[in-house]
Amino acid sequence: MKQYRLLIIVWIALLLLLAATAASALLQLGAWNSVLNLGIAALKAGLVMLFFMRLRSSHVLIRLTAITAMATLAILFALSSTDYFARERYVAPYQRPQQIAPVLR
Amino acid sequence: MSTANASAIAERGEPEHAATFALWILLATELLLFGPLFLGYVYVRTHFPDAAAAASRHTDMLLGTVNTAILLTSSLCMAVAAERARAQRSTQWWLSATALLGLAFLVIKGIEYQHEFAEHLFPDRGFAPADAISLDRLHGMQLFFLLYFAMTALHALHLAVGCVFCLGLTVRGGRQHALAVELTGLYWHFVDVVWIFLYPLLYLLGRAGG
Amino acid sequence: MTSAVHRGTPASATEAIDLGYLGGKFSLWSWLGTHDHKRIAILYAIAITTFFFLGGVAAALIRIELATPQGDLVSAETYNKLFTAHGVIMVWLFLIPSIPSVLGNFLLPLMIGARDLAFPRLNLASWYVYVIGGAFTIWALIAGGVDTGWTFYTPFSTMFSNSNVVLALLGVLIVGFSSIMTGINFIVTTHTMRAPGLGWFRLPLFVWANYATSIILVLATPVLAMTLVLVGIERVFQVGLFDPALGGDPLLFQHLFWFYSHPAVYIMILPAMGVASEIIPCFARRRVFGYRFMAYAILGIGIIGFLVWGHHMFVSGQSVYAGMVFSLLSFMVAIPSAVKVFNWTATLYKGSITFSAPMLYALGFVGLFTIGGLTGLFLAALALDVHLSDTYFVVAHFHYIMVGGSVMAYFGALHFWWPKMTGRLYSEAWGRAAALIIFVGFNLTFFPQFLLGYEGMPRRYHSYPPEFQVLHLVSSCGAALLAVGYLLPLIYLGWSLFKGKPSGNNPWQATGLEWETSSPPPTHNFERPPVVTRPPYDYPEQGEPA
Repeated sequence: MKQYRLLIIVWIALLLLLAATAASALLQLGAWNSVLNLGIAALKAGLVMLFFMRLRSSHVLIRLTAITAMATLAILFALSSTDYFARERYVAPYQRPQQIAPVLR
Repeated sequence: MSTANASAIAERGEPEHAATFALWILLATELLLFGPLFLGYVYVRTHFPDAAAAASRHTDMLLGTVNTAILLTSSLCMAVAAERARAQRSTQWWLSATALLGLAFLVIKGIEYQHEFAEHLFPDRGFAPADAISLDRLHGMQLFFLLYFAMTALHALHLAVGCVFCLGLTVRGGRQHALAVELTGLYWHFVDVVWIFLYPLLYLLGRAGG
Repeated sequence: MTSAVHRGTPASATEAIDLGYLGGKFSLWSWLGTHDHKRIAILYAIAITTFFFLGGVAAALIRIELATPQGDLVSAETYNKLFTAHGVIMVWLFLIPSIPSVLGNFLLPLMIGARDLAFPRLNLASWYVYVIGGAFTIWALIAGGVDTGWTFYTPFSTMFSNSNVVLALLGVLIVGFSSIMTGINFIVTTHTMRAPGLGWFRLPLFVWANYATSIILVLATPVLAMTLVLVGIERVFQVGLFDPALGGDPLLFQHLFWFYSHPAVYIMILPAMGVASEIIPCFARRRVFGYRFMAYAILGIGIIGFLVWGHHMFVSGQSVYAGMVFSLLSFMVAIPSAVKVFNWTATLYKGSITFSAPMLYALGFVGLFTIGGLTGLFLAALALDVHLSDTYFVVAHFHYIMVGGSVMAYFGALHFWWPKMTGRLYSEAWGRAAALIIFVGFNLTFFPQFLLGYEGMPRRYHSYPPEFQVLHLVSSCGAALLAVGYLLPLIYLGWSLFKGKPSGNNPWQATGLEWETSSPPPTHNFERPPVVTRPPYDYPEQGEPA
């Protein structure tokens, strides 16, 4: 059992974080609900990647692979949002008038 | 494995390093496979915030939370199996436990799907939720459920493949067993990470009645 | 270990050669079940050539239709199916796999001194996936056809088109997995199987190019896969993520589609640039100018290439803010490409230049790629793009890059490495003639299209006002000449397989590990694993005597 101590501790942390995210969802926190949920999700994912997937002790190439994948996804989100979050602000003559603008909450 | 040692190994082309590297590249492609669904989700969430919250309340939060706990536990079992395989110890029980928990997840998911089909929440022509108060709300809820079904189905498909591999590994021994368990473990944990994000995004919107 | 020497049946006047990997087993299964990367490369070459000519048939019909202003050869809907077929086949079944899967497969292990790729069975599997997906796609395109354009824009493709959209999507999806498999193989091979002494900055630029291409392949293709699946789901279930009438956004599809399809064009051009970097130093007898900058430029193109996709959407209804961001980034991506063009040119300086067939193709590549690249900058300028978007200017721009660039480089590579792959020399006279015919035919076909586009001729139209006819006719005649140019190599390269002079190990006196083994190489590539001690392109420096 001793050699799995770390894994079990991580598992307990994951379950606690799960309880936290579920419980907090039942509270009315407005925009902070999402922030909290995503933050906790990122933490859980981080724990799984670092400890279960052993990214902490992986070859630098493998860590680079993981980072590159996440960065590419981030590019997709970031540059697409330059479109979605500015459609109403900078209107071009050829834009359709009935473009739906996102509601940020 | 220290970094310096590992790069020396890389130069010599050890098969374990090559296989592990290849699997991580595969996980990178899988992340980008799910990517468009997440972007679609962001679109629905930002353009139809009320409809998304209403739709999310139709999902079964209890079953979803239980499923998340099951999957996290299965990841523990898988990690233990990989640890044991590295130490040349038997892994059958732990791999079976992983697969069983995975199957339990799929069964519960199936039950959820059954409920959702019964409530006409599948986003085809027959989509008819009870609380679609306007056309806008209807469209928003339908798009949310499109993403709900697409994301959870893609996830379930990957999980099923993972279960098959785990079960296969309990039966097969083989010289490369430790490597096979390691690679299957990496895949399994990735599927877990995807669910870690799917759970709050799909199940926890609008739960405070907002 | 010595391989059994297999002597081909001597033809009347030509010597027999040691057939290396081509010899040995001759059965169908020894080819269809091979793990040898060189045989898999040949399998790919056969499939790719077939698809190239199928795509060419579609192009021929298009150009014949466009020779007259009236839409008289085919109906409007059939014309839509023709340009869709041309685009789908040429992009996904020809250009994307061509240089990596034929030449990359053949040469990568040889260039790094390895016996094979990291995962030979994955390599064979990738060929099967490619052929099955390709056959499926062709079937969808021919048995009924698809009329959405290769870009599958929504909501037409999801809600209104009455053609084989879902089948075509499925075919392309399958072919995409082949790309991913090849990409993984190349990346792992390049990292883990280099010969002793072969550090990254001793690698041939062709290896760098295929490496960057593979990274783009594995990161971008999955996005396309999921996007196509979403289009299919929309179409089948009539749910509207991409349909404004049902709450969706057509631009969401376009963002996702072009997120893949712009890096895809870098998948098509980077290997071609790698080829140019191999041919030009050899036939100028000069080291590549600025090797490190060339390598960094390859990586730079790969990275910045992921940041520019919105320039396909300037007039789509995208926010002007996004348009400005993408326009700026698109100007930036031209910089590493320009660095490469300058360096190829500088490589020629004070060189001892031989105008062999491969060199003609490589020089043609540099010039035509430059024109294509510069006109890309025209299109990257937001204001100009409003006028030029969806006109023949865009068509001319991308054909200069893809045909004038990638296809020329593919042919140049075929000729350059033909002796290595087959052990035979082709006829230089015919090779040069074909290269020149292709060059002239290409410019006759596509230069008028810049003028047509600037004057307002829209793309994807099969009938047009009569004042455009002269330029269209010139273009169609050019296409006929181009077709002749493309058919010639089939004849003289095929002929050389039986009657060509044996080439010997290194007929071009080129540097590179692939030239140090026999032509064709034995199945295991090298008798003894090579050790590398010299820098790459070990020709004299610029300015030194040859």
